[in-house]
Amino acid sequence: MQVSKKIVVLGHFGVGKTSLIRRFVEDSFSDNYKVSIGVHITKKVVEISVGHEISLILWDLEGTDDLKTIRDAYLLGTHGVVFVFDVTRPSTFQGLNTDLEIVKSKMPSLPLLVVGNKADLVVKKDLEEVLSKNAIATDFLTSAKTGDAVNDMFLKLAKLLD
Amino acid sequence: MLKKYQEAYTTKNVQFVLTDLAGNILDSDQTFLPINKKGTIYDVHPFFYCFSSIATDLKTEVFFSCVHLNFDGKAYITDIKFIKKEEGVLIIISDYTQHYEEYQAIAQARNESIINGELIAIKNAELEEREKFKNSFIRNFSHELRNPLTSIISITKIISDTELTDQQQNMLSFLKESNANLKLLLDDIMSISMISSGRLVLRNNVFSLPQMVDLINFTYKARANESDLQFDIKTDKKIPEFVEGDRLRLFQIITNLIDNAFKYTNSGKVNLEIQFNQKRANKISLRFEVKDTGIGIPEDKIESIFESFSQLNQSSLKSKGTGLGLSIVKGLLHLMNSEIKVQSKPGKGSTFYFDIVLKQPIPNMTKPQVKMVAKKKETILKLRSDKKYKILLAEDDINVQTVLFKLLLDTKYFSIDVVSDGALVMEQLINNEYDLLLIDINLPNVTGDQVARLIRDFPFKNIKNIPIIGITAYAFEDNLKTLKSSGMNAILSKPFELEELIEILFKYLK
Repeated sequence: MQVSKKIVVLGHFGVGKTSLIRRFVEDSFSDNYKVSIGVHITKKVVEISVGHEISLILWDLEGTDDLKTIRDAYLLGTHGVVFVFDVTRPSTFQGLNTDLEIVKSKMPSLPLLVVGNKADLVVKKDLEEVLSKNAIATDFLTSAKTGDAVNDMFLKLAKLLD
Repeated sequence: MLKKYQEAYTTKNVQFVLTDLAGNILDSDQTFLPINKKGTIYDVHPFFYCFSSIATDLKTEVFFSCVHLNFDGKAYITDIKFIKKEEGVLIIISDYTQHYEEYQAIAQARNESIINGELIAIKNAELEEREKFKNSFIRNFSHELRNPLTSIISITKIISDTELTDQQQNMLSFLKESNANLKLLLDDIMSISMISSGRLVLRNNVFSLPQMVDLINFTYKARANESDLQFDIKTDKKIPEFVEGDRLRLFQIITNLIDNAFKYTNSGKVNLEIQFNQKRANKISLRFEVKDTGIGIPEDKIESIFESFSQLNQSSLKSKGTGLGLSIVKGLLHLMNSEIKVQSKPGKGSTFYFDIVLKQPIPNMTKPQVKMVAKKKETILKLRSDKKYKILLAEDDINVQTVLFKLLLDTKYFSIDVVSDGALVMEQLINNEYDLLLIDINLPNVTGDQVARLIRDFPFKNIKNIPIIGITAYAFEDNLKTLKSSGMNAILSKPFELEELIEILFKYLK
């Protein structure tokens, strides 16, 4: 049996969590925003080195601006976390450091990537200025629409989990 | 006997699956999901990959709500419960698709509304930022222009008082007209900027409406004669003599509309009509209507004529204008809770009209104010024939300094000392005796308003009480308020005419 790792994808609503997973798993994108409720689970097998595959079980959790309300059952057996925010909506990243504290308290010592999505909609220089002003450190700036950095991000996490 | 009916009418939305601790399926009742007894729970759906971590630590039960499962192209939204049993684990899957879909629709509407609200707020903040930048640009731009324009207007005045040839007189009249147009453009840009930034504050005073109408009549009759047009004013007899409102801005609205009518009328007439709509308590509603027999406006252009710098593309225009007049009218009427309306037919003419509510003051309140105006004029005349006044002029712009110095000396009423640094003003005031301080706001080292504060806090009365007239190119409403609070008696906006300056000087000279 292939090694499988559970990844939960978290963040406020409308930040593009489902779109990131869809881009990664199906290599597709839709402009239609459909609110996710509960949890969607998909699987993708990735090759992290020649002949070495790992099965990623991606849990796309319902977006919330209060991370304390996430149901603990959803987080059972998690191996890695992706926290997504929307670079065009300050409300999704202004409290990011507090949000990350909550995530870390719920899932201590797990690999965690902080991802700013919808990066295609802003000028990179302006974005860097805003993030620095808000004391936000990101691991990846992605665009589910263009696919920019999406595979790299999931692949990096897969390698961290191996 | 009832079993067949029970089977037909009972909703099959709960499925039971039994597994051992390794995840092998021992039994499944196949109620709605095709989970057969062969294989492991891991093969059913990626969700069940969590089984291993659950089974390891399962004490009693674990519950998952709102889990999306897909089987054979069909989507289910389910609640799933894992319960520890002696055989292994009992999994109960409940189908709540319909219930959760209803919830999804509510969440969709709520989240979309929140996101849209956030995006609108971001857009508004961005627009506000741009507006701020635009207004600050206009303010600085207008300041930079006002200083040289003051010099140009003043020097033009000085030259016009010298002996000139006919050709020079002719050129000078063009120069004067250009100065006036430039001043008008600057004033219009300032008005637009003040209206759009919310800086313009209406000043309501009691004034005589017939007097204002007389002034309009006098001005535009002359203009109509020059243009071979007819100009008439018709006023309703019910209109009271005195009303309370912002006379200056009302005058600006009406004259902008009449100017516009003249601009687009080649033959025929321009009329102003003031109608009495109604009276409620001490408030009266009046309609002002400006009608012309001009070129008219095509229907598809009516909206755009109220935009800044909008002009109908007509080669037959008599004067160019700034293209800001109607935009100012629209903005000012908006401030007065009114709205400009227009009816027009190309080739026939246009009618611009608006309704406005003004207060009707108690009759005996109006008379003393009229007397006061008359008294003020007498005082000016009386002062003019008296002594020579000593003025300290503090101005760093060498052109403005030279021009003011010459203009004031030429009147023979004043002797002038000049300093060009704010830090030198106090020293000059202590060592000399002046009747008035005329001071530019934007002085180097110590600004005009800082000097004014120092003077008003000074212990000696002869200095503390000296009249101070500020000169500024930053002639915005809130700026003027701040400057006045520094202790200045009056503020004069650049560019200004000599008569304005003289009048204000005499007002404060003892």
